[in-house]
Amino acid sequence: MDLTLSHRNRKRGLKALHFTALFLVMSVICIPGLWIVLNSFRPTIEIMAKPPIWSPSFTLDHYRAMFGGAGEGGVPVFKYFRNSMIISITSTAIAMLIGMSGGYAFARYRFKGKNGYFVGLMLFRAVPGVALSLPLFIVFARVGIIDTHFGLILAYVAMNVPFTVWLTDGFFRQIPKELHEAAEIDGCTRWQAFWRVEFPVARSGVASAAIFAFLTSWNEFALASQLTRSVNSKTMPVGLLDFTAEFTINWGGMCALAVLMIIPALVLTFLVQKHLIAGLTFGGVKG
Amino acid sequence: MKKSRIISTLLSTVAVVAMFESVQAGEFDGVTIEAKLIGGDQYEGLYARISEWETATGATVDIISKKSHFEIDREIKSDMAAGTTSWCIGSNHSSFAPQYEGLYVDLNDYVSGDTVAEFVGGNINASTVGGELLMLPRAQFDVSVLYYLKSNYTDEAKAAEFKAEYGYDLAVPDTWAQFKDQAIFFADPPNFYGSQYAGKDEAIVGRFYEMVVAEGGNYLDDNKSPIFNSDAGQRALQWFVDLYEAKAVPAGTLSYVWDDLGAGFASGTVALNLDWPGWAGYFNDPESSKAAGNVGVAVQPMGSATRTGWSGHHGFSVTNDCDNKEAAVSLVEFLTSEESQLAESAGGSLPTRSAVWDANVAAAAAGDDAFRAESLAAFAEGAKFAFAVPPIPEWGETTNIVFPELQAAILGDKTVKEALDDAAEAVDELMRESGYY
Amino acid sequence: MTRRRLPEWFLLLLPAIIVIAAVVLIPLIFSFYSSFTPYKLTRPSTLWKWVGTYNYEKILSDVKFWAAFGRTILFLTIALNLELMLGLGIALLVNKVTWGQRGIRTMLMFPMMFSPILVGFQFKFIFNDNIGLVNNIIQSVGFADVALPWLVDGKLAMFSILFAEIWMSTSVFAILILAGLFAIPRDPLEAAKVDGCTPWQSFRHITLPFLMPFIFIAMTIRSLDVARAYDIVQIMTGGGPARRTELLWTLMSRTGYVDARMGLANAMGYVSILLSILFTIYFFHKLSAARAELGMTG
Repeated sequence: MDLTLSHRNRKRGLKALHFTALFLVMSVICIPGLWIVLNSFRPTIEIMAKPPIWSPSFTLDHYRAMFGGAGEGGVPVFKYFRNSMIISITSTAIAMLIGMSGGYAFARYRFKGKNGYFVGLMLFRAVPGVALSLPLFIVFARVGIIDTHFGLILAYVAMNVPFTVWLTDGFFRQIPKELHEAAEIDGCTRWQAFWRVEFPVARSGVASAAIFAFLTSWNEFALASQLTRSVNSKTMPVGLLDFTAEFTINWGGMCALAVLMIIPALVLTFLVQKHLIAGLTFGGVKG
Repeated sequence: MKKSRIISTLLSTVAVVAMFESVQAGEFDGVTIEAKLIGGDQYEGLYARISEWETATGATVDIISKKSHFEIDREIKSDMAAGTTSWCIGSNHSSFAPQYEGLYVDLNDYVSGDTVAEFVGGNINASTVGGELLMLPRAQFDVSVLYYLKSNYTDEAKAAEFKAEYGYDLAVPDTWAQFKDQAIFFADPPNFYGSQYAGKDEAIVGRFYEMVVAEGGNYLDDNKSPIFNSDAGQRALQWFVDLYEAKAVPAGTLSYVWDDLGAGFASGTVALNLDWPGWAGYFNDPESSKAAGNVGVAVQPMGSATRTGWSGHHGFSVTNDCDNKEAAVSLVEFLTSEESQLAESAGGSLPTRSAVWDANVAAAAAGDDAFRAESLAAFAEGAKFAFAVPPIPEWGETTNIVFPELQAAILGDKTVKEALDDAAEAVDELMRESGYY
Repeated sequence: MTRRRLPEWFLLLLPAIIVIAAVVLIPLIFSFYSSFTPYKLTRPSTLWKWVGTYNYEKILSDVKFWAAFGRTILFLTIALNLELMLGLGIALLVNKVTWGQRGIRTMLMFPMMFSPILVGFQFKFIFNDNIGLVNNIIQSVGFADVALPWLVDGKLAMFSILFAEIWMSTSVFAILILAGLFAIPRDPLEAAKVDGCTPWQSFRHITLPFLMPFIFIAMTIRSLDVARAYDIVQIMTGGGPARRTELLWTLMSRTGYVDARMGLANAMGYVSILLSILFTIYFFHKLSAARAELGMTG
């Protein structure tokens, strides 16, 4: 009797501990982001207030200013958003095609120096953007693709291909060879067999690679700040700097743009989070 | 009704024509001028005037880049590296100008001597590198003066306490030594600070430079060899160290640059603040500042040797690779004209033309805005002591060497002498590598 | 006229090779060359002056460079290890949750969606000593005279940038390890329970070995991206004050862009590339070892 009671108490204590720990962890993860969202709705004088004001008032001023014209603190948000979308989506799509083709080559063919090729490919991904940005700028400037969507798309495709190869390689390997052999016997070409049989099976791996590629392009700054110049090609991370001037940082405005930047990533990740986890683990572990 | 409209149209036409004595209507029909301009609220008001120039000359201006100064500096350097310099007009700054060797034309060849003479001589000197006039200054001249909270000087109990402790009357400081005493006296960290200073990058080095000169020393000698580790230099740096150690400045001050300083003083929790002209309106605006109504402006304090002011100014330059330099120069002249400077300095920035200075000071004295008159008078006085940084491409690089050492001394990682000696040694190596001696 | 046809695998790999060569390899060759010149951005002609290994000798004999190098390794070691431990802890916590787990999982991914530059600004703001959230909280809960200089004090500044980095990247570990926990076969765990193993013993001898490959994947993914910390540190402290948070990348970008000494910066760049490559190779090696142990080689 006494024993079961203490046992139950202990269990309850553990449960409370678990809950508290989880709550703390989640707070640390969420608060910094929420703080940004909250500040995008607060007037500047309140953000800067000292002593701090804890009961927030609500204003849409930062959003109104951001969408307003030049001179009123306006920033060409729509253009940045459009640029970001075009560049991220196109580069993701192309990187997926190229990466899948590479991943398929690694998964399905035997050739000399395979591991060497593979690690070599990965190493190019490891080159820090900040070390690459200037040489890349000079090469791109000679070719004349600075400040174009094309230039940035090209750069991001190259950045995302190695990772895509890695993940899709793992997925294609899991699919038994017999599957496409059977399809070929049925009269499909290898190409048809790939799209009809192997691609559908590997879909969740492809999806997770795509999200990673998209988020990488969407959030990249070091290269974008060097390869873009005007509103014709500036992406949203570069646009954040519009809120810093020589003498000031407009926190409220920056938070407002940040919120716009996070929303698409949030929506996308929420929609496909299941694939993301499955894709990452199988692609990597079994590869 | 109709008549008056005709007259007003006529009048405005006359005004526009008068504005461009040297420009003929439609002179640059079909020409497109590409420009890279500094962005930010403070600077962009002027760009609204560009359309007037476009209408008058028939040319089109294409602003291909608009960024903060550091960003645009980086972009221009990248352009020089890649050879993509066929754009025409670039925003420039007196501290940055010497770095862009061979990029910009000597404006002496394009602008009449009479026009050049209308600018303040010191500003033209600071825009001239190796005899070449690399930019025409706009109405963005920067020298810093002392902003202070007036209420600190009206409290009699405080004044008595101060006198008892320091032995002289409490008044707005006129020397850096008094400034230090008072900053330490007023400080009540973390709720109230005596002062604050920019603590990194070029910002702290510029301020240190100013103090070295005020103490009777200099940053570089005539051979461009570093001499800031002299006694004067050590006294100057000691001032920063003392304020920091006494906690008279916020501990975070070493990570502050201008935005943080502005926000700090506007929060009403800093007694004495050396700052730029662009802030005057902001500090006294109840919308943006808690110190509004309580802000005094005085000329910057002097050191043990002299009164000085580290200064710089913005301007516009024309590239050598520009296809239509005449049109580009015409736009630069327009943006720096008397009318443009009057319009731009109405926003609170300081002009670089003598006539505009006079007009502004006279207008402020006659106007009913006492604060504006007070601040303008302080800046006019402060500008008299202004000096510009050495016009060598290596200036920026020396600041990157020096500022971490200044920080090391302020934080107590090194003694003042060690820090300055280490910095001087590294700057010496740089200068030798650059071929000065 | 029989042309030898390229093998199929090579054709499939060709697009990847071409893109990477164009975007990464050519610039790298260029910057490798320029690291042997006194190349200054503002003096393009300096690109043609060969100075041999001068730049390398200069940085290798420079105390500041080595300090930044050592600090970078320390930073990465601390960050990666803490991310791993915290990730493991969070994954175990979340794994026990029976209700609302999907929502929690989504929240967990929150930081992954933030651009590193945004993370930098965000924490610069939060750790501001005057108006920052952290100090405001400390002061509001009763320590009114405390204003910690988060971004200035030597130890606190390092802590702050580590915190930001860890905040951004722990999710990757947590998510991957969580996926590993889902995939653990039940039988060995139950057998262990029957045999009277303590929870710690079964964790140590069954769960952890099974999780190893997942941990190494996470490590490998992260090692490809370590230089992202540059964006954060550059915004938060710029390497300061007094070089207390100077990492290889901030030193390099200041030398290259602000001082315009690209030749020297590229020499540093090569050292940092080498570092990234070593990290990556190390974890790839570990990953294949762990896979082999579990018999997962395909």
